[in-house]
Amino acid sequence: MKKILCVALALILCLGMFAGCASGTPEETQGTGADLTGNYEITMWVSEKDGVAAQFQEQIAAFNAANPGITITAKIEGVTEADAGSKVVADVATAPDLFCFAQDQLARLVQASALAKPGKAAQEAIIANNDAGSVTAAKVAGDIYAYPLTSDNGYYMYYNKSIITEEEALDLAKIVAACEKNNVKVRFALENAWYTAAFFFATGCHTTWTTDAKGEFTSVDDTFNSANGMIAMKGMQILTNSTAYDSNADIFTDAGVVVTGTWNADAAKAHFGENLGATKLPSFTVDGKSYQLGSYSGYKMMGVKPQTDAKKGAVLQLLAQFLTNEENQLARFNTFGWGPSNKKAQENEAVKANESLTALAAQNAFATPQGQIAGVFWDNAKLLGAVAKAATTEAELQAGLDAYTDALNAFTSLTPEQRAAFTVIGGIKDSGWGTDFAMKEDPAGTWTSEEAFDLTVGTEFKVRQGMGWKVAYGDNASNADTNVPTTDKANFKVETAGKFYIQLVLGENSTAVVNLIPAN
Amino acid sequence: MEKNTVTSVDAGLSPQKTRRSMGAKASRRLSNTAIYIVLALITVIWLFPFFGILLESFRVETTQQVSYLWPKQFGFDNYIKLITKTDFMQWFVNTGIMGVATAFFQVFFILSVSYALSRMRFKGRQGLMNIMLILGMFPGFLTMILIYKVFAEAGLTMEMAPVGLIIVYCASSGMGYYVSKGFFDTIPKSLDEAARVDGATRFQVFYKVIMPMAKPIVIYTILMGFMAPWGDFMTASYIIHENSEGMNVAVGMYEWLSKTNLNEYYTTFCAGGVMVALPVTAVFLMLQKYYVEGVTGGAVKG
Repeated sequence: MKKILCVALALILCLGMFAGCASGTPEETQGTGADLTGNYEITMWVSEKDGVAAQFQEQIAAFNAANPGITITAKIEGVTEADAGSKVVADVATAPDLFCFAQDQLARLVQASALAKPGKAAQEAIIANNDAGSVTAAKVAGDIYAYPLTSDNGYYMYYNKSIITEEEALDLAKIVAACEKNNVKVRFALENAWYTAAFFFATGCHTTWTTDAKGEFTSVDDTFNSANGMIAMKGMQILTNSTAYDSNADIFTDAGVVVTGTWNADAAKAHFGENLGATKLPSFTVDGKSYQLGSYSGYKMMGVKPQTDAKKGAVLQLLAQFLTNEENQLARFNTFGWGPSNKKAQENEAVKANESLTALAAQNAFATPQGQIAGVFWDNAKLLGAVAKAATTEAELQAGLDAYTDALNAFTSLTPEQRAAFTVIGGIKDSGWGTDFAMKEDPAGTWTSEEAFDLTVGTEFKVRQGMGWKVAYGDNASNADTNVPTTDKANFKVETAGKFYIQLVLGENSTAVVNLIPAN
Repeated sequence: MEKNTVTSVDAGLSPQKTRRSMGAKASRRLSNTAIYIVLALITVIWLFPFFGILLESFRVETTQQVSYLWPKQFGFDNYIKLITKTDFMQWFVNTGIMGVATAFFQVFFILSVSYALSRMRFKGRQGLMNIMLILGMFPGFLTMILIYKVFAEAGLTMEMAPVGLIIVYCASSGMGYYVSKGFFDTIPKSLDEAARVDGATRFQVFYKVIMPMAKPIVIYTILMGFMAPWGDFMTASYIIHENSEGMNVAVGMYEWLSKTNLNEYYTTFCAGGVMVALPVTAVFLMLQKYYVEGVTGGAVKG
């Protein structure tokens, strides 16, 4: 028995030795005239839509024919671009060599070193051949990391022409009234931040995020919580207060209007038939002033995984370049209706005549190119749609916006290192329990707040680690009480008013003492 | 004294009792009717989704979701699409293989563990049982990352996922010994002893004496093992890691519910659902009478 156990343990140890072998160093690769001939077996993830994988196979065959000596055998899987990025990040080692993804995942992929940068020449070609929005979307901190694949990941409106006239389709209130009258739904996914943002962009709000070269978010310029943001919330209520509103825009059941994108073009045709209308989003009117709904214009990208074999890396870059060129983008437009990002392909007559892409182009005049945006935005802005639906007073709308700002502040007020360290949180400043304040460790085991706070008697706060409540100290009696089963202790209560630095001293045996150090 | 009281009460109430029993009959009928109505309602609610999926799988006028139940046009288009145009059959075969293999190994593991725990007395037996009970209380996903890492290094993910998944399903199955151990406990020990006296080994006793009597519990264990892979999504999805060759039905069909595919594949998804129900239902119907015996048989003694 013991022998078997020993053998089993030894085996597990051996397995451990192989860990890490598969992941190589990311390399910046580009064919520099070196001999790239050879046979390559690659894996690829493309859209899961019917026929996409087959068409990519054909295009790879064309690549093989165009590059004598290079033979690529590809194994292609259909994985939705919406979360291909997260799946790649989950395990970069087993991730495919080439993969398509929606550009909002770019920063995470760069952070996880899952993308190999195209070489200088390839980057210049990308800039020259693709529309400006898609080039911006492919950049992290000024460098291009992926090949634009489509320029159609935006949304616009499909509607039933027999219910809504072209003129009515310009105004949200009229659309809602017409749909209520005909007992059909206005499908607009306002519980998804990607769509919720349409109302805020309409009133001139913006949210712009900055990343460093590693893809970490450093700061945000966000104006959603403002007078204009309030107008946007009220605009949303025109729709959410109606019985016709439905936040599920993935299906067409009972739909009079669906706000969606090209991926549903076939479904829209099937549902509306000859009554199909496609156009830009409507305007809404609040307090007598009209606002044209904005949108996010999104892009899809093709990325190359860093390779240990430099030759294969270079071939993959060439292949990605080939698969995203004018001809292949047009082929995808012809079969699947995907809007090209290539400028020459966009000039094609058929592309210009496509009604979905025409509607998208009309909407694009009011669209905001989607840059790199932190997850905290998506998680919190999506709540605003539900707030608008539930709220009956302006104060409730404001509370929703305040909660949104608090969540963003909590995220951006600190650097990633600070977020992992101890921070002070509580009623120490006007922002209340929504914001963490940074602390510095000096000497080891002693954490002091970077700024001094004006504390009044009765103010409560806590010192917590990693912006969570797993390790959070406060009241010293509670800190010392080992009977308190959790490490989330009671709040520290200020007993004398004054200006203080807040200090946490960690002792041996995980004891902790919180002190107030007078500022002068 | 007591008896007297009873008689007198009986006697005193006897004329009323007749009347009452008439009333009782009526009221019983009434309450039965009420109960049946409630039961019928619950049945309808319970069966409705299955019925709905069945109907939608035969709907051919559109592949999208619709707001009515009864299809305007019936046909087999969805099934034809399912079998000829998608990888469904591969997923189906994968899952079937996993089901059979899991059933086979689980029977072996579970019955061996239960028999040993029921019949043999060794040091630490009680402790072992307690540990297994406690370990079983931790949800399986706690080990997700670890299992994935080990399997990925060992090459048991992606296209090899079926093998990996069989290992996952079977590895700790011995811990599910309770029901079968309870059943074995009900078989008299003297049978074992008699066989032992006749010179049988422990394994022979298990195989030749106990097993024939434990048919219900064997069937029950086979059934549980066979059914597990058909409905597993969580473990399967991370072990498979987006490789269509290694997918089981749940993970494969999930792709059809994505934003891009939903409107084209909704009815195909329903057809797939019906297809998945077939083998499970067939096996279940075949072994049904043993199944009931198996579950209750083990419940006699803890």
